[in-house]
Amino acid sequence: MQLLSTLRRSPAGNIIIVFVVAQIACVVFGLLFPQTFPYLQARSIGALLVAVSPLTIMAAGVGVLMISGEFDLSVGSTFALAPYVMALLVNNWGIPAPAAIAAALAVGAGIGAINGVITLNARIPSFIATLGAMMFWRGILLALSQGASQSFRPGGWIQALFTGAIGPLQAQFGWALVVVAGVYVLVHYHRLGNHIFAVGGNLQSAVAIGVKPYRVKLFCFVLVGLLAAFAGVVDAVESSSISPKQGQTMELLAIAACVVGGISLTGGVGSIIGVLFGTGLLFTIQTVLFLLRAPGEYLDAFVGLLIVVAVVFNRVTRKE
Amino acid sequence: MAVERSEQPEAAPVPLIELRQVTKDYGPIRALCKVDFQIREGEVLALLGDNGAGKSTLIKILSGIVPITTGEIRYRGEPVQLRSRQDSTNLGIETIYQDIALVDDMDVMRNIFLGREETGRFGLMRIGSMRRKAMEVLEHTVGISGIKSPEQMVRGLSGGQKQAVALARAVYFKNKILLFDEPTSALSVRETNKTLEYILELKHEGVSSVLVTHNIYHAYKTADRFVVLSHGRVLLEADKADTDIEGLTRVVVNT
Ligand SMILES: Nc1ncnc2c1ncn2[C@@H]1O[C@H](COP(=O)(O)OP(=O)(O)OP(=O)(O)O)[C@@H](O)[C@H]1O
Ligand SMILES: [Mg+2]
Repeated sequence: MQLLSTLRRSPAGNIIIVFVVAQIACVVFGLLFPQTFPYLQARSIGALLVAVSPLTIMAAGVGVLMISGEFDLSVGSTFALAPYVMALLVNNWGIPAPAAIAAALAVGAGIGAINGVITLNARIPSFIATLGAMMFWRGILLALSQGASQSFRPGGWIQALFTGAIGPLQAQFGWALVVVAGVYVLVHYHRLGNHIFAVGGNLQSAVAIGVKPYRVKLFCFVLVGLLAAFAGVVDAVESSSISPKQGQTMELLAIAACVVGGISLTGGVGSIIGVLFGTGLLFTIQTVLFLLRAPGEYLDAFVGLLIVVAVVFNRVTRKE
Repeated sequence: MAVERSEQPEAAPVPLIELRQVTKDYGPIRALCKVDFQIREGEVLALLGDNGAGKSTLIKILSGIVPITTGEIRYRGEPVQLRSRQDSTNLGIETIYQDIALVDDMDVMRNIFLGREETGRFGLMRIGSMRRKAMEVLEHTVGISGIKSPEQMVRGLSGGQKQAVALARAVYFKNKILLFDEPTSALSVRETNKTLEYILELKHEGVSSVLVTHNIYHAYKTADRFVVLSHGRVLLEADKADTDIEGLTRVVVNT
């Protein structure tokens, strides 16, 4: 009971409780109906953790940016463009894979920096600036690729680094955990994190106290781009190919994961642990629908519902 | 010493901060017009005047967040620029705002240390040390708090408690000049008295305060000197010895 009330008060508490309850329900049904609802099969859990990793990595960045009071709708395009450039560099120019991966990350950071500079210097809503960026970069990628996918099979240690496993821990999910842990420490224990909450929570006060919002927000934009690119790289090594269409609507899923995880749409509130569990909950729902053989389209309907419920729920609990 | 001083009774000491002929325009609106203004060492100065007189503008200029249009600012006689919050912080100026500048969704400790976090390796915050110091300064220096934990969110605090956090921030960082922009407007009688007492206590430690208030009684009780602004101009500047509460009221009411 003590644990429960402590949990309820922590910013990620609600989502953790919901997540755990959902897991328990799934496990119980998995035990009761192992034939029709094989939730507990080791393969499906492992596969789930691999599948959840790119979105988790992306959502961690999106969450930081949302805490600072801004949005990035272009992460889905970055998720395709950055690894596509990486694959092109390797396939057409013979660039070594590690250098190509570095280039992909630079592309992501660059897109983030451009988003930040446009948003902050022109003083326009990031929602609009990054909506433009989303369509711009996707358009460039579709035009240059002519819709053709690129294969990416780096082999050797790179392959092992992104698709190997240490015991039961798959590399993809390991990366996701590393990213979440790093972002968690940054946001909640680094002075920069303090400033991120301040600019998102009360920009005027933050400025009056001497925080530099331009620097803080620009950093967040770059981080989001970087992590979207990294998510794309992790996904590319896993699937061995990059489609110029991949990652469409993924920006909305990432925002959904953050909102479900308790991050405020207006900035200044949230926790990175919440984002981790928010992503987990989205994928749990996806898995359940899959196991129940529901058509894939239902996922969107459920995620849509979940976002609205989560925002209403956060609003109500924060009012008390 | 005493004899020498009495030979030159008019030679006032160099003020800590001095504004000379400062004008501030917000576009077409002239908020301050050729204002001469001083803050002396170890004094409490009350800044009075009607709504829109320019009091907050003057405070914002001193805290470096609003630039002056024309005029000069001096610190201990030396011309200085106050272009940013950092500039004023460097001179030991701390502001406690009318609309208190705290971030509601951050906890008390993080608010006190915001922008001046104690950090260790890699810029990671020393949470333990900051928590201890926050608690100490809240408990011992600012007696109005009743704040239970430095990890309490500011959103749930009363006006007086928020004031205590803002005061704790000013006190902890040992500032020379405190600027209070209507610090008591959101406070209960008890909290107000505590805040005013606190301003006097700090005076004895050599801290100068500027108190913006609409309450002439509070001003008279606390301040050593009074400046009344009206439509951006200085209407009256008087020592406590040269005025009384009736005279002061008359000037303020007739502006
Ligand atoms: N940011 C701004 N932009 C334009 N005009 C402003 C701005 N801030 C203040 N003013 C104007 O400058 C004048 C002085 O305002 P100021 O806030 O300094 O008054 P005040 O004495 O603090 O009043 P109050 O007692 O109501 O707080 C007013 O006419 C106000 O409308
Ligand atoms: Mg004012």
